[in-house]
Amino acid sequence: MTMCRGSCQGAGRPDMTPVYPTAGSYPDFARLVDRDTAQVDRRVFSDEAVYQAELRQIFARAWLFLAHESQIPGPGDFIRTSMGEDDVIVVRQRDGSVKALLNSCPHRGNRVCMVDAGSKARGFICNYHGWSFGLDGGLRGTDGKVYEKDESFEKAQIGLTPVAQVASYKGLIFGTFDPEAPSLEEFLGDFTFYLDIMLDNEEGGTEFIGGAIRSEIDCNWKFPAENFVGDILHAFWTHQSGAQAILGGGVDLGKRYDELAFQASVYGHGIESNLDKVGNTRTLGYPELVDYMFDLSERAKARLGEVRARAIGAVSSATVFPNMSFLPGQNTFRVWHPRGPGKIELVSWTIVNKNAPERIKDLYRKGVMMTFSPGGVFEMDDGENWEYSTRVNQGFVTRQQPLHYALGLGSEDLERDLPGIVHKGSMNDANQRLFYTRWAEFMEHDNWADLQNGATAAPARPKAAAE
Amino acid sequence: MIELCNSTDVVEGEILRRDVEGFPAVALTRHEGQIFVFPDTCPHAEESLSEGWVEDGRVVCGVHFAEFELGSGEVHNRPAGCPNLTFFTCEDRDGKVFARLKEEA
Repeated sequence: MTMCRGSCQGAGRPDMTPVYPTAGSYPDFARLVDRDTAQVDRRVFSDEAVYQAELRQIFARAWLFLAHESQIPGPGDFIRTSMGEDDVIVVRQRDGSVKALLNSCPHRGNRVCMVDAGSKARGFICNYHGWSFGLDGGLRGTDGKVYEKDESFEKAQIGLTPVAQVASYKGLIFGTFDPEAPSLEEFLGDFTFYLDIMLDNEEGGTEFIGGAIRSEIDCNWKFPAENFVGDILHAFWTHQSGAQAILGGGVDLGKRYDELAFQASVYGHGIESNLDKVGNTRTLGYPELVDYMFDLSERAKARLGEVRARAIGAVSSATVFPNMSFLPGQNTFRVWHPRGPGKIELVSWTIVNKNAPERIKDLYRKGVMMTFSPGGVFEMDDGENWEYSTRVNQGFVTRQQPLHYALGLGSEDLERDLPGIVHKGSMNDANQRLFYTRWAEFMEHDNWADLQNGATAAPARPKAAAE
Repeated sequence: MIELCNSTDVVEGEILRRDVEGFPAVALTRHEGQIFVFPDTCPHAEESLSEGWVEDGRVVCGVHFAEFELGSGEVHNRPAGCPNLTFFTCEDRDGKVFARLKEEA
């Protein structure tokens, strides 16, 4: 591409239509996950080239969590967030729909929105030359009287680059930069069955309360994502002292662990649960919340069925691939934004049922702050582990040593009437293996047909599925 | 004074643009029943004010969001260097809007 043919006076006009990058194929990186030996090569946590491939293959293609509908209820309400390392404005339109726009002026690239969130915005004006963009991202005008007199200036086709697709699932707004990506529901697949435990256990749905908590952790983004996708094992060691302080005893598996506990995975999204009704809620330390959860679980049977009603407050955790996680019953909800191979920006919120009593919402807000915030008991426990798991790989010899992901080999449960790839017991590396298998599929495949029909796709569900 | 349009053309809360021969384009709006006439061109960056809107008794420029009080033209939320807006004297005579326009092109 030649920018200036001859004297830069040519008749060529700028083509300002949005550019959506295409995917490639990185089979060498895909092989860093060895499914046969249940090992993961540590270069996935430290290598800059792998990280750049992740931005292209995963974060420029997958549906990524953008915002909760409750954060931007009215026209002009907006939040600023990230998709990978891309800065994005998520804004409610005058017709009630939601658009997401790259937060970068097409003129010299400066950010057009500097604040984290706001309400009733009229548009976004670039600080550099005063280019002004409407809520829909279109260029409304420029500063000064220069462009208006330049007859070759074509305002109509200039705007902030829109995120290619935006869609909602039960209050959660997602976006993808890939115009070819399948629908959000196809991307989530049968995992919506498990998302409903958190999002649809009561009439009225959910909302975020109390603002966002932002922090940085010097770890690779996949350590927290894999932790929430299926690592309850660490709680019995990492969180034992914190749990004893809050609960007056150790982390409890629940009396029916062997019978009830499971992991389920669909397209790398995963949940593990002990189905013990209130184990996660108990960790917030408020007996009133435990009473509320027992009652909610009883009421939710009609809506969700017996199994999922037991999961609402249970010892459990979940990740939607690649980087959105939550704890049912504990009600922390978070996104792990990558900031290079060795750093994340963590943004977390408290999610509650919209129709919950105010007193209950307030206890959740306080309880989540005390446990899963930068100063919270459990967050501090986790952060240090993930930082050292990442940092040690600066060692040249250290990073040649593969990591062990082999707990629960052969534990797949083919009998259980639950959607997804189901394994017995929540203490199991199964979901983490499938998370990295999904990661490898994104590295390997340059098309969605292969991506949606590989090893992480859920088996077809029997007709009498556990609805 | 110059005749601009029928007074019924000027709707509460809407901004109407009128081209008048020999003068820069003008804009009209109605607020709480009263008609206001002002230059269509924003005094800041020459954008069209009729592409903006009326909010809480002020004309809002749709480009850089300067707000001008209807009547006095006093500017609020202005970008640096944006002056007040000058409103034209106008009258509703038997269903027609007349205004005293200035001849600056």
